[in-house]
Amino acid sequence: MYKNRFTLALGLLVVASMVLAACAPAAPAQPAEPVVVTQEVVVTEVVEVEREAFTTPHPILSDLKVRQALSYCTNKADLIKSVYVTLDEAQQASLIMNTNIPTDHWAYAGDANITIYPFDAEKGKALLDEAGWTLAEGADFRTNANGDELSMQFTTTSATFRQTWAAVWEQQMADCGVRVVRLHAPASWWFGDTTGLARRDFTLGAFAWVGEADPGGQTLYACDQIPSPANGWEGQNYMGWCNETASAAIKNANNTLARDDRIKHYQDFQAQFTTDIPSIPLFNRTEALATTAGLTGFAPTPGEPYYTYNVYDWELPGSDTIVMGFPQEPASLFVLVEDAYVANVAYSLIRPLLETSLNYDFQPNLIKEVPTIESGSTSNNDVEITEGSKVVDANGDVVDLAAGVTLINAAGETVEYTGGPVTMKQLVSTFELVDGLTWEDGTPVSQADLELGFKIDCDPESGATSFILCDKTEGVEFNGTSWTYTWLPGNQDPLYFNSGLLSIYPAHVLGDVPAAEWATNPLVAETPLAYGPYKIVEWVKGEKIVYTANEFWVGPAPKTPNIVIQIITPESQEALLLGGEIDTLASEAIVSPTETLAAAAAEGKITLYVQPSATWEHIDLALFLR
Amino acid sequence: MTAFFIRRIFQMILVVLISAVASYALLNLAPGGPLAGLRQQQQSARFQITEEDIARIRAYFELDLFLPYRFTRWLVGVPRGPITIGGNEYFSDLVVGCRKPLESDVLNEETGKFEAVITGCKEDVFMKDLAGRRTSRGILLGDFGLSWRILRDRPVSDLILSRLSKTLQLIGLSTLLSLLIGIPLGVYSAVRQYSKFDYIFTSLAFMGSAMPTFFFGILMIIAFSIVPKEAGWPYVPSGLSESVRDYTIPIIGAVEAGSIKDRFLHLLLPTAVLTIFNIAFYSRFVRASMLEVMRQDYVRTARAKGLGERVVILKHALRNALIPFITIVVFTLPGLFSGAIITESIFAWPGMGRLYLLALGDFDYPVAMAIFFILAVLTVIATLMRDFLYTIADPRIRLS
Repeated sequence: MYKNRFTLALGLLVVASMVLAACAPAAPAQPAEPVVVTQEVVVTEVVEVEREAFTTPHPILSDLKVRQALSYCTNKADLIKSVYVTLDEAQQASLIMNTNIPTDHWAYAGDANITIYPFDAEKGKALLDEAGWTLAEGADFRTNANGDELSMQFTTTSATFRQTWAAVWEQQMADCGVRVVRLHAPASWWFGDTTGLARRDFTLGAFAWVGEADPGGQTLYACDQIPSPANGWEGQNYMGWCNETASAAIKNANNTLARDDRIKHYQDFQAQFTTDIPSIPLFNRTEALATTAGLTGFAPTPGEPYYTYNVYDWELPGSDTIVMGFPQEPASLFVLVEDAYVANVAYSLIRPLLETSLNYDFQPNLIKEVPTIESGSTSNNDVEITEGSKVVDANGDVVDLAAGVTLINAAGETVEYTGGPVTMKQLVSTFELVDGLTWEDGTPVSQADLELGFKIDCDPESGATSFILCDKTEGVEFNGTSWTYTWLPGNQDPLYFNSGLLSIYPAHVLGDVPAAEWATNPLVAETPLAYGPYKIVEWVKGEKIVYTANEFWVGPAPKTPNIVIQIITPESQEALLLGGEIDTLASEAIVSPTETLAAAAAEGKITLYVQPSATWEHIDLALFLR
Repeated sequence: MTAFFIRRIFQMILVVLISAVASYALLNLAPGGPLAGLRQQQQSARFQITEEDIARIRAYFELDLFLPYRFTRWLVGVPRGPITIGGNEYFSDLVVGCRKPLESDVLNEETGKFEAVITGCKEDVFMKDLAGRRTSRGILLGDFGLSWRILRDRPVSDLILSRLSKTLQLIGLSTLLSLLIGIPLGVYSAVRQYSKFDYIFTSLAFMGSAMPTFFFGILMIIAFSIVPKEAGWPYVPSGLSESVRDYTIPIIGAVEAGSIKDRFLHLLLPTAVLTIFNIAFYSRFVRASMLEVMRQDYVRTARAKGLGERVVILKHALRNALIPFITIVVFTLPGLFSGAIITESIFAWPGMGRLYLLALGDFDYPVAMAIFFILAVLTVIATLMRDFLYTIADPRIRLS
């Protein structure tokens, strides 16, 4: 009896202590001064961060010859082969990345304008010899004059995909006498906000970046984007690479409007990038999609993330319904707050994108034309700005103009504002919807719908994550189903012709609903009104979303009357496709084409589409010690 | 009897509360969450996360409140703001959270790594700031709040109800079948110990309980769905709870999507996998229990009295052998709710097991906590049922 009570009391004590520990609030409010932690921790000593951290060149990787050697010793084809076993050699070769931009992208510099490092282990070994890392007779790994072994830790995630190619790379490095010690960390640590990459806690680190129609790159490679304690870890240049020429080129490429000029800047950047090798680009991941045999019109295209862009063309002979297999259920169709890919694909059936980005370029879809400067629908005006006005400064931040602000003037010069009027560039674009766009209830899309789109998307109460585009907006003028978007002076976003696109929401249904209630409103989250080729009939939670053709759709009539998004599981997806329960499996489901799918495709049971995806694997090299 | 039940109900409430506190604290202490990785997303001219954005998102998920306040708002829906008595507001300026934590990086010299430490707060959340914030009525009043991720911003109860019926179908049917088949098999095997049947049955039972359901499930799909379908033989659907399109199966004929026939066919494979697995488990348990009882003196005495073998086995042996089995059976109650994670995944069955897995993987704490809480309640109810059933099965036990 007493023993039981004692056990109960002890149990309660343990639980209570856990709860108390968990409930302990953060330390009381302190003024935002530089903080020195003074309390002693029992096990480890805690000291103030030295502001000059990351200034000591890495003893191995700061040597260009070593970086070149690592590049030459990397057999990218074999890495690809290890993870994409079902692809033929030509498909595998098409995935190789030579620089930070895919070879079929408009911004790719071209082979002749960059330094390419084909696999050449002998050349790599010679470079290591030159760098002072020699292989003693009978030894497996190289050492320098001090007897230090050429050994580095290689950090990446624990995903099977990365474990596979990382093991091959480890062996490739070993063949050149370089010891690579693999550390497969949980993604939560590697991509954590205050751990792993974010704190530059690696020597060799592998992960992927997502390429886009616009290659961007400023936050990844510019000198002022190197995260460190001194700048509050801002930026994503984890290598700590600062090449002034490359930095200027990438900034210019990201802040120039003319495509030809941008290509030149990207070319300059890639030349520097491949010469310095702060990062070894490896390969594009693949995007694999599969459909049941006989499905026509399905045409996934590189650069366009939504393979449903032409869903009205899909047709399956003998069936009035096409079933799309989704391994994850959309959490909501309010895509302003729910940005998961599956949600956007499901949404694209009812509200297609106003512009598509096939082959990494932009095309009008539900607008009459892409409003570029060349087309005359965008002007880049000289405007006179005075102190106190909101502008976008030289770093791309929205600021109130005041003495000391660095800005880019109308002449393209970076200057420090000292007072008085200054002339800056201001982008103004006019967009116009195609004629006849109509909601599924027969109500024509109107100016009020566009106004509501701008209002809700820029309302902090809506629950959206980032408002950077709204912050950079000076104003929008509406005129029927066209609108003129005026950016803040100084904003020279090269994607101006896309960034100014507005959401279209049905004002006649939702006009009176406050932004804070949108996320919870079923008419927003579950059954939004359609103006696209399909409209939602029902959403059976956990099971399926049923669509039927929208009779008011302004585009080509859908060839298949019904579409169903069937919620499946990754474990069941192949059996369901082969069993005929679903008709499509797309990139949100297939990580890479499996042997089962490849065999089924070879037998003609399914059609398999494999193309380079915009996501590319690379190994970042830490150029400085912590 | 009444005193027993009153005492037990108080104990049950205490256990449920303690489990709620412990699971809430543990879940909130676990790494990850809706903010994890947000700042590491690829930044561009069109997507930038500012400190203000982070603060707003923290507030959206109530992560800016101290854990005790978060917990009580989840449990009973309070505090909702300052207390108003006679027109006066009290505790308005009580600090209940931190909107923008003050983080500092320190270098741990032992590991050589930077560690982020929260050293203070730049901007507090006060009790008055809670007024007007959305909140549930509390889980004790049956309001499980809004889903964070899986069914974003819509009621957790909607999500659970959408999955519950499917899980009850699958788990209920397979449990019932397993009991109906497993108990007689176990009894027969025990009575015929070391017979050929016993050897075969024991071997199969071992195989059944040793074979992982994910492997067994795939084997079943290949054997009863994909291969026969390709061969033009009768087959059963490989997964889902119903079809989208009508289809025809040789011999069985046309099947209308969503019809009872269609649903029954879809239920066959996952039910078979779970039933076979459970039969193996139940029957082995019953066999072992029966063997132990059969050696007892009272069984020998019953036989010595000249009772028929059927009466000896069913009345004297089985009743006693099933007493420990009651514990296993009553705890199928929480199992009926929680579903079967692996089997549901293999067969794309839209049930609770899959939901539970998603909730944990997607950091949907309100959903995960609702499932934890309901499971805790069902478990204590099952425990009470067990105690009650013991008194029926074993006359020596008295609730007093």
